[in-house]
Amino acid sequence: MAQYYESIDPNGELICMKCGVPFEKMEVTLAYMDNSFPVELPRCPVCKMVYVPEELAVGKISRVEKSLEDK
Amino acid sequence: MQDRKIISATASVCPVCLKQISAQRVAEHDGIYMEKSCPEHGDFRVLLWRGSEESYRNWERQKQQPAEHYCHTHVDKGCPYDCGLCEDHLQQICCVLLEVTQRCNLHCPVCFASAGGYSEDPSIEEISEWYDELMKAGGPFNIQLSGGEPTMRDDLAEIIRLGKEKGFTYFQLNTNGLRIAEDYDYLKQLVDAGLSNVFLQFDGLTEEPYEVLRGKPLLAVKKKAVENCGRAKVGLTLVPTVAPGVNDNQVGDILKFAMQNMPVVRGVHFQPVSYFGRCDLEQNEQRITIPDMLRYMEEQTDGMMKAEDFLGGGAENSYCSFHGNFMQMPDGTIKSIKSDNTGCCCTSSKQSRDFVAKRWSVAPVLASTESSCCNIAQTTAVNNSCCSTSQPSLFDVFLERIENYTLAVSGMLFQDAWNFDLERVKSCYLCELSPKKKIVPFCAYNLTSISGETIHRGK
Repeated sequence: MAQYYESIDPNGELICMKCGVPFEKMEVTLAYMDNSFPVELPRCPVCKMVYVPEELAVGKISRVEKSLEDK
Repeated sequence: MQDRKIISATASVCPVCLKQISAQRVAEHDGIYMEKSCPEHGDFRVLLWRGSEESYRNWERQKQQPAEHYCHTHVDKGCPYDCGLCEDHLQQICCVLLEVTQRCNLHCPVCFASAGGYSEDPSIEEISEWYDELMKAGGPFNIQLSGGEPTMRDDLAEIIRLGKEKGFTYFQLNTNGLRIAEDYDYLKQLVDAGLSNVFLQFDGLTEEPYEVLRGKPLLAVKKKAVENCGRAKVGLTLVPTVAPGVNDNQVGDILKFAMQNMPVVRGVHFQPVSYFGRCDLEQNEQRITIPDMLRYMEEQTDGMMKAEDFLGGGAENSYCSFHGNFMQMPDGTIKSIKSDNTGCCCTSSKQSRDFVAKRWSVAPVLASTESSCCNIAQTTAVNNSCCSTSQPSLFDVFLERIENYTLAVSGMLFQDAWNFDLERVKSCYLCELSPKKKIVPFCAYNLTSISGETIHRGK
């Protein structure tokens, strides 16, 4: 499984802006076109929103999307 | 239940005189047939699709609006006589075949180009004019170096370099593999000049299909050509001509061989035999149609590839082709990567051009000259890694597999004088450049009557 969490929030300092509580490390599954990718990402324990860092969104997630769509 | 139903009308040609005649598509209990009648030469009937009317209709894909394209000729006598392309054509160009020689070092009993014998090769100056004409017509297109056998020319690398200088980026070598098997240095020169893909005639994994279709055993030569392509780091597509009763039982073995030889092999492109050009095979009632190919692939791979994993052509007419992509995971399992049917995949010539270039060019892992700890195929956990993470993520594994270990499986069903359908011809994007620099859809260019007459070839 991807060890993104340690690089995203190495010191556990990220705070949910909406709820004001620290994020927790959670395993979430990203799914697209019949493919799923379990990955550890920060999640707010109150509102359950997952934080996807920009680097991941415009990097590997985008590459996977384009590969699957053959674009 | 009705036994026979006319489902649509189109136009075709008479196989004897090649005059345009009207045709009908007729659904019967076992398939869809084309029926047509020439006032002079009588009635003709041929199988188009083995399966139900519903399966036939479901195969068709939504198309974009007809694309504007360069017109070299005007409509005068009507399709398929005015090609150039003319104003009635409905698609832009994706790939263009350049016949750089008519010479050949094989004399196949089956050859769409009727190649062989001696005729003078076009000069570099003439080929330079061809490239200029294609750029004027909306290029760069994907270039297929064809013939004859293009490796008969010692200056082929120069032809590729010239094309690159003119702005073309993708060069495919349509070859029987004889020369690249025995002359590695020649192949390396082509790759260094910019060759993107070797499109290798590859009819099976026993000698019988080679003996029937090519006139001699060639399996060892083919395997050597595959090996040399890996060594020279060039993308390789295996191209089997599939003939009923000859090698239609080797479809699965060819696919398994391709899987075993990834990432050198990038694709398999099946071409069910067509009865045009030089074809010494009997015109067989058991024509291979798209559903037959899908069934062969599913049955002969034990369901590893399924009929439902394939789609019809998106940019060209849906009934001209099929394609599917299959990713091999590190544990050997196969995963179908299927774009949805509503627009993700290629629906324009430009998309098809880019798709071919991406899928059939050399695998990134082979192209890279530096070894990297990020090569997931070789390692799963690396200390002192150059990667940002200590372990490869599923994203990394997936990207590495899809870019290097995905086999593009496709096929194209060329038309002959029996099943020639002007609706299909008008949306063709695979063209040949005639000696007079007219751009002609492949099947119209190679169309031959029963007596061997042509409309466009050599004219």
